[in-house]
Amino acid sequence: MTLNADYESPRRSEANATPKLDERIGHPMTLLPTYAPVFLIMAVAAALAGLFFILASVLGKKNPTPEKMIPFECGSESSGGNHVKLSVKFYLTAILFVVFDIETVFIYPWAVQFRSLGALGLASMGTFLAVIAVALVYIWKKGALEWET
Amino acid sequence: MPLALALSPFLVLGFGALLIMLAEAFGSRRGGMALGSTIVLFATGLTAAGLWMYGLENLKGLEAVAPWLLLDRFTLFFQMLLCLGSALAALTAGGYLPEHELDRGEFYALLLFATFGAMMVSASGDLLTLFLGLETMSLGAYAMTAFRKASPRATEGALKYFLLGSFAAAILLYGFALLYGATGHTDLAGISKVLRAGAVKDPMVVTSLVLILVGLVFKVSAVPFHAWTPDAYEGAPTPATTYMAVVVKAGAFAMMLRILLTAFGDAQSMSWSAGWPPVLAGIAVLTMTVANLVAGRQESVKRMLAYSSIAHAGYLLVGVVATMRAPQQAGASVLFYLLGYTVSTAGAFAALVLCGSRGRETVSYEDLAGIGRRHPAVALPLAFFALSLAGIPPTVGFFAKWFVFRAAVESGFYVLTIVAFLNSVLGAYYYIRVLVYMYMREPAVGAPVAVPMRSGYVVAAVILSAVMVIVLGVAPSDTLDVAVAAALSPG
Repeated sequence: MTLNADYESPRRSEANATPKLDERIGHPMTLLPTYAPVFLIMAVAAALAGLFFILASVLGKKNPTPEKMIPFECGSESSGGNHVKLSVKFYLTAILFVVFDIETVFIYPWAVQFRSLGALGLASMGTFLAVIAVALVYIWKKGALEWET
Repeated sequence: MPLALALSPFLVLGFGALLIMLAEAFGSRRGGMALGSTIVLFATGLTAAGLWMYGLENLKGLEAVAPWLLLDRFTLFFQMLLCLGSALAALTAGGYLPEHELDRGEFYALLLFATFGAMMVSASGDLLTLFLGLETMSLGAYAMTAFRKASPRATEGALKYFLLGSFAAAILLYGFALLYGATGHTDLAGISKVLRAGAVKDPMVVTSLVLILVGLVFKVSAVPFHAWTPDAYEGAPTPATTYMAVVVKAGAFAMMLRILLTAFGDAQSMSWSAGWPPVLAGIAVLTMTVANLVAGRQESVKRMLAYSSIAHAGYLLVGVVATMRAPQQAGASVLFYLLGYTVSTAGAFAALVLCGSRGRETVSYEDLAGIGRRHPAVALPLAFFALSLAGIPPTVGFFAKWFVFRAAVESGFYVLTIVAFLNSVLGAYYYIRVLVYMYMREPAVGAPVAVPMRSGYVVAAVILSAVMVIVLGVAPSDTLDVAVAAALSPG
C-alpha cells in the first residue's frame, strides 16, 4: 500500500541491521557520555540563572519605603481583590483555537507528501476535514463562537 | 471496497455519532436522542455481527490498516459487546436524564464517541492507535461522570477520576515509550518479534511491562488502583455509571488481552517465574478479597455495585492469568464473562434507576426497603440481576464464573480458583442483602419512600438485559463457541 510506504521504510532498514539490542539502544552507562553535553548545558544554565539571582539580591541596594511596597497598578491606587475571575469564554476560545491549530499540524505534512500518499491519503484527509467541519458547524450552532452572550 | 466493508462498524458508528451530534444542535426536541443513539449502536453491533457471519477471511486488503487496526474476530466480538453495553446505557439515559432534569443532548454524543474510542482500543494492534482510542474513550467517560454540574459529589468523583486517570494514562504512556525505546517498534507484533529474539531480558523491557501493567490495572479498576472507582461511580449519573462499569471496563480488558497476549505473548513473559501472570494473580487475589470485604460494608447500593464491579474485575483477572497455560479456553471464558457481566451489571443499574424518581433517587439500601411489597414489578428485575451478579443459576452469572473457574482449574491454578470461589460465596452476601431489604424490611417511620419512575426506555433496557441473562444462562454453549472463535492466541 502506498500509504504504508513511508512508515515501513525504517523497519525495513532495521531488519537489515543485526538487531543487537545493547548496540542499538546502548547500556545505560554507555548512554551517559552521549548525553553528557546536554546535562552539562542544563547544569551551566541552572548555575548561571541562580548566580544572577543571588548576585542581584546580594549586591542590589535595598531602600524600601511604604510607597515602594504597595502593589504596582500602572500608577493608580490598587483596588479590588487580587483574585480576579476570568470569563470562561477565554478557555473556550483557547480550546477551539487548539483544535483548529492541530488540524493545520496534520494538513502540512499531508500536503508535503500529497503525491506519495495518493487517493487513500486524499480520502483520509477529506474524512478528517469533514469531521472537523461538522464540529465547526456544531460549535457555531451551539453559540460557542458568540463573544457576547 | 472490501476494506470499507471491514471498517463498516467504525464508519456506521462514527457517521451516526456525527449525525446525532448535529441533530442535537439543530433539533428542538430532545426526546428522540436516546432512541437515535440506540439505533446507531444496534446498527453498529449488527454490522459487526454481519461481518462475523460473512467471515473476515473473505475480505481482501485488510492489511492496509494493519497494524494500526487489526480487523479480526476478537475485534468483532468486542464491537458487538461494546455496542450492546453502550446501547443499554443509552436506553437507561433515555429515562434517567429527563426524570432527573439532566436532559442535555451532549450526553449521547459523548457516549457514542467514547464507544468509538473503546472499539478502537479493542481493534488496535499498535501502541499509538491504542493510546488514541484509550483517550477517546476516557475523555468521554470523564465528561459523562461530571454531567451533573451542580452536584459537588459528581464534581468530586469526576475530578478524582480525571486526575487519577490522567496519571494512569501517563504511566501507561511512559511504559509504551520505554518499550518503543527497547524494541524499536510500536506495533505489538513487531515488539513481540524483538522480545522473542532475546530483548525480553532487557531491564528496560521489564520496567516498561511493570508500567504498562499499572496503567492497565488502573483502567480495569483493580485493587490497589481502585480508589477512584466508588466515588466516580457514585457521583456520576447512573447511566454514566453503567457506561463506566460496562463499556470502559470491557475496553480496558480488550486492551489488556491484546497487549499481554500479542506483545508479551512470548514464553518468558508468560511464564510463572519471570513474567506477568504471577503479578496479575496477586492483583486478582487482592482485588477480589478487598472489594468483596468492603462491598459488604456499604450503605449505598450504587457504591456496593461499584465495589462489585471491582470484584468482578478480580474474577476476570483470574481468567486472564489462566491464558498463560490455556490461551484459547481461558481467553474465551474471559470474553464470555465480560458479556455476562455486561448484561447483568447494565440490567442492575437500569433496575435501580427504575426504582427511583425525581427527587427520590434510590441510592441506599434503606431507600429500597419494602419496595418488593409496594412495587413488585420494579423490585423483581433488581433482585434478578443481583442474583445473576452473585452467580446463582440459572442466570448467566453462574456460567460466566463456571467457565472462568474451570479454565483456571484446568490450567492448574488450584489455589487461585479456591480463593476466587470463596470470594464469590463472600460476594453473595451483599447481593442477597439487596433482596433482604426489598422484600423483608419496611422503610423507617418518616423516611422518604421511593416511588418508581415510568419510562419505556429504562423498561426496554431492563427487559433486554433480563432476556439476555436468562438466555445466556440457560443456553450458553452457542455464545461460548463464539467466544472461543474470538479468543486471541499468544504471539
